[in-house]
Amino acid sequence: MFGKASSSQLSVSLGGSGALSHVYIQHPPLRCSIPGSKGLFYDDGNKLILSPTSNQVFSWKTVPFASHVAPTSDSISEGPVLSIRYSLDSKLLAIQRSNHEIQFWNRETGETFSQRCKSETESILGFFWTDCPKCDIVFVKTSGMDLFSYDSEIKSLHLVETKKMNVSWYVYTHESRLILLASGMQCKSFTGFQLSSAGIIRLPKFEMAMAKSEANNKPVLAAEDVHIITVYGRIYCLQVDKVAMLLHSYRFYRDAVVQQGSLPIYSNKIAISVVDNVLLVHQVDAKVVILYDIFADSRAPISAPLPLLLRGFPRASSSSYRTGNKDTDGSEANDISDHETIIYGDNWIFLVPDLICDVAKRLLWKIHLDLEAISASSSEVPSVLEFLQRRKLEANKAKQLCLGIVRTVILERRPVSMVTRAIDVLVTSYSNSIKTGSYFKGIKAEKPPTSDVSNVNPPTSVVDESIRREDALGKSIKHGSASGVENESLNRSPAFSVSDSEENVSFENSNHLRSLGAKADRENFKVAESSQSEVQKLSLQSQLLGPSNSPLNANNSENLESQVTSAAISPDEMYSCVFASVEEEMAGDPAYFVTIVIEFLRSANVERIKVHPNIYVLTVQLLARHERYAELGLFIINKVETFL
Amino acid sequence: MGLSSANTVVNEGFQFCIFDLRRGQHEGQELDKILFFYPADLPFSTQLSVIGLSEGLITFTRIFSPEAACEVIEAERNSHVFHQAEPDIWMVMVVEKSKESDSIWRIDALRRVLKEVHSLFVMFHGSIRSLLDKDPSGELVRSHLYAFIMDYLSAFQKRSTWDVCCCDFLVGKKIKLPSFRDCLKERGTVQMLTVGREAALEVQSLVRVLESCAGNAPCYSLVLFQDLLVSTTLSPDDTINLFTYAVLRLAPNALLSRASSWSYLRKGNTASQIAAASVMASSGSVSEQFYGSRDTSPHGGERSHHVVRPLQHNKWYKGMDGFLVTDIWGPEVGSMVSATPTVLLQQTEERMYLCVYQHKSLTLILLFPISSILNGEQGISVVKQQIVENASLKMLKVEEKLSKGWGGENAYHVGGYRYLLVDGDRNVSRASPPGKVTTLTKESLISLSNLREEIDLEKSRAKWDDPGHEKDLEICIRAKNNAWVIARTTRGKELYMVLEKANETLLFASDAIEKFSNRYCSGAFSLD
Repeated sequence: MFGKASSSQLSVSLGGSGALSHVYIQHPPLRCSIPGSKGLFYDDGNKLILSPTSNQVFSWKTVPFASHVAPTSDSISEGPVLSIRYSLDSKLLAIQRSNHEIQFWNRETGETFSQRCKSETESILGFFWTDCPKCDIVFVKTSGMDLFSYDSEIKSLHLVETKKMNVSWYVYTHESRLILLASGMQCKSFTGFQLSSAGIIRLPKFEMAMAKSEANNKPVLAAEDVHIITVYGRIYCLQVDKVAMLLHSYRFYRDAVVQQGSLPIYSNKIAISVVDNVLLVHQVDAKVVILYDIFADSRAPISAPLPLLLRGFPRASSSSYRTGNKDTDGSEANDISDHETIIYGDNWIFLVPDLICDVAKRLLWKIHLDLEAISASSSEVPSVLEFLQRRKLEANKAKQLCLGIVRTVILERRPVSMVTRAIDVLVTSYSNSIKTGSYFKGIKAEKPPTSDVSNVNPPTSVVDESIRREDALGKSIKHGSASGVENESLNRSPAFSVSDSEENVSFENSNHLRSLGAKADRENFKVAESSQSEVQKLSLQSQLLGPSNSPLNANNSENLESQVTSAAISPDEMYSCVFASVEEEMAGDPAYFVTIVIEFLRSANVERIKVHPNIYVLTVQLLARHERYAELGLFIINKVETFL
Repeated sequence: MGLSSANTVVNEGFQFCIFDLRRGQHEGQELDKILFFYPADLPFSTQLSVIGLSEGLITFTRIFSPEAACEVIEAERNSHVFHQAEPDIWMVMVVEKSKESDSIWRIDALRRVLKEVHSLFVMFHGSIRSLLDKDPSGELVRSHLYAFIMDYLSAFQKRSTWDVCCCDFLVGKKIKLPSFRDCLKERGTVQMLTVGREAALEVQSLVRVLESCAGNAPCYSLVLFQDLLVSTTLSPDDTINLFTYAVLRLAPNALLSRASSWSYLRKGNTASQIAAASVMASSGSVSEQFYGSRDTSPHGGERSHHVVRPLQHNKWYKGMDGFLVTDIWGPEVGSMVSATPTVLLQQTEERMYLCVYQHKSLTLILLFPISSILNGEQGISVVKQQIVENASLKMLKVEEKLSKGWGGENAYHVGGYRYLLVDGDRNVSRASPPGKVTTLTKESLISLSNLREEIDLEKSRAKWDDPGHEKDLEICIRAKNNAWVIARTTRGKELYMVLEKANETLLFASDAIEKFSNRYCSGAFSLD
């Protein structure tokens, strides 16, 4: 039913952003079909889709996501494949062959060896590779966790540590480096470990809340009902309570797990994705998705539930299921395209964080946010701007949208209070980006005491602060993040935070990252912003030097780079993209426009940001043109208009 | 000068008249030209002789300079100060010279009184000529002028205890004119609060919000903190007028004096009121018909016009919503609600509603064009409500910010200096606080007053010789008491200073002025 509905929307969506959905998947998908495949596996440590055949394993990179990625292959020996993962350095391939055995390949030499369980009573639930300094691979067994390190000399694993406990099932994401081990009758008691490059942290044991349907009927929590998500560098766990129809959220701190409230759900089957720090709760049965921005305190969804849209699918095939799809290559194109458009089909598997795998059709989709549609769906301009400012995946688009929105509200002469709040949002966001940038610069330049550095800067330091702890670590990080975005209003105590250095953005700024390497999710934020701040300084310099063309060019190239990574809008851009262009279109009484400029100056002043000198010129011209000399005089005297 | 009754003895030595040269040019109609005369109970013959002398001098001096007739006559026993307020409408003040030192004054300071009373009158009632055109008999203008100027003169005497800087002309039964003691003051200028950039931005932000409350109507505002101007969007002339009025009647000090006058000033208060009343009563009997009814009660009967007396004191008080209210303008037709005051702007010649909001030390004066507010009072109350809703938070913030940054009444005191700084281009002045000025000796003040007189003369001469080009002047005088009395003018700015440090050299004095200039006037008066 929704397949049809979505295809009927296509005409709208192709023309632009139809506001009928806020989230879309883009056609064509990544096709992972290999003849003789035994199924698809997702290796989230390396972000690979793996498809083993009887004697080979094919792998597709999912980052960066592209539909035309050619698979690479490794040959393996025959046998059952329960699970398969490459080591983080891609030198080894591990395949779980049975409940008791995991087999290893050295890709360079082709040598193999196996690791088996000691006793027959325990069975292997799964395994994952880790970048923890202590060990390289972790086996999760019904009797607990075995931590092994790989010895390349003797080419075998050697047991480092065993954590004994009963495990019913477990959830792990490489993104969060967090493993949750479920135990108990209802499987609602959890033990968590974070195995990151900073070491191993054991979380306090906690229980998840579950409503009872009847007195004696105790529901059992299943692995599908628990999701670890990473949003804004904080780790949450979302638990589906099917009885209460609620999605409980828990946030992890170093020494505590705090329940954060619940979201309503409208479907028995729930899937979770995170796209660009936005939480997507797929109500699979209802075939709609609800968006939440956890950064804001409010648990209200960003927008109304709307279906997931398939974008860019050729109309010919979508309007008629029987028409062959000429775009698709390969012989199986026809039969695949038959059911390609079934949104929320039974074969969909949602991969962390933002991928959808159609297991039956061997297709991989990446979920995108339609920022235009989201911003168009709300009239609450300041909150839309806040939302857009937090986006970094499509930072440039978010930025352009922000600029457009601000231009529009000014041109439409919306109430001053509202425009003021909108401007405040942008200025504050920029200011934060500058502060975090300068914070990083400061570290580079001053080289604080090494103890500090080691605390703040381990490449993937995991936990940043307990709620109350005031130890050195906490302090140093507090100091560090005092000016950070994270610390901003909503975040009282820095999160149990995550490192994920292979996230999409960082590669562009690796030069910045190398020496710094703090927590990755923040990294992206901050690096983006640090480059931004450099741009700002550069551009200010160039203005000081005078209007010559060569530094401007340099600016542009820098700007382009920064546009990719941060939606923050510098005062210069505010001037050139908003005020200068709006002023041309605004005729008549300048009072409103001057009001807005004043509010901008006030906001910038509060945040101690220098504004583009031309904005003063603009205001002076405007006031003089309308012969409002009294105000002009006051502006000058009170240094409202401060010229460089 | 004719007979003088018992009453005029009291106010001997001071006469104030306004007359129209276009009227009463025929034998027997001379009285027609008198629009105002103080004291009103002088016999008409005396009044006419004063006016006749003035008229004669004006006619005579016009032969030589048609543009600017005479400005002052210095006779042996008194001075006549002339001011042509409107074409052919003259204001003349006659002051007696006496041995008393109090009557050492500057002519220019007196002329500024004339200017002030006229501009305030125009702001509330429109020009004298327009009132004459409306009612050629002159009755309308006479009744308005009489009430207005009497309020102006009799006003604020109780404020003298509060604030030396405000004009108190009629103390007890004597008109007290600005004397040499006021030589570190400049009437007709505004005093501004110096604010930092951050506060200025907040203020501007508030001003914008206020103006947006009136919708699309052009709206003006004036923001005062205590008795100091913070922001204005009005033209300079209108700013001065409203500022003057606000300091006299609206600012927290003006309201405060009203409240406290009940307690310990009660006696003085009633006494002075009797004095004012007696002036009016005594004059009433003589020239009731001439000046028209002074019955200001709203239901005054058949008399066609209700005379609004905006300078009446103790008439403004703070309403529940933070807005100041007054019944001066009488009740709205057909209702019990007081009518909203209106003023006429000089620049746009538009009549505006006057709304005043006060929060602690912060006074906001808002002007909305009558033409743009529909439904009169109803429309105004809607706007007021808008203001309370949209801007009260900002007002709190601004008040707090300004209070924090304000240094108190001696904020602009500069140790060791007694100064007056006038910026003629902006009509802004700043001076040592009155409390500090009083520490100067009489000799110093008289010397400065005389020096200023010289400068005034020099200035007007320069203006005459070479209009549009101001002369730079510097005069340093060593007074009898060894104080340095200094005046420096440059590019439209004037600095007057008294340094009462005996035995210091001229070098020291000029050093001191240099320092002051660099520190407080961004080097405007520095020599290099």
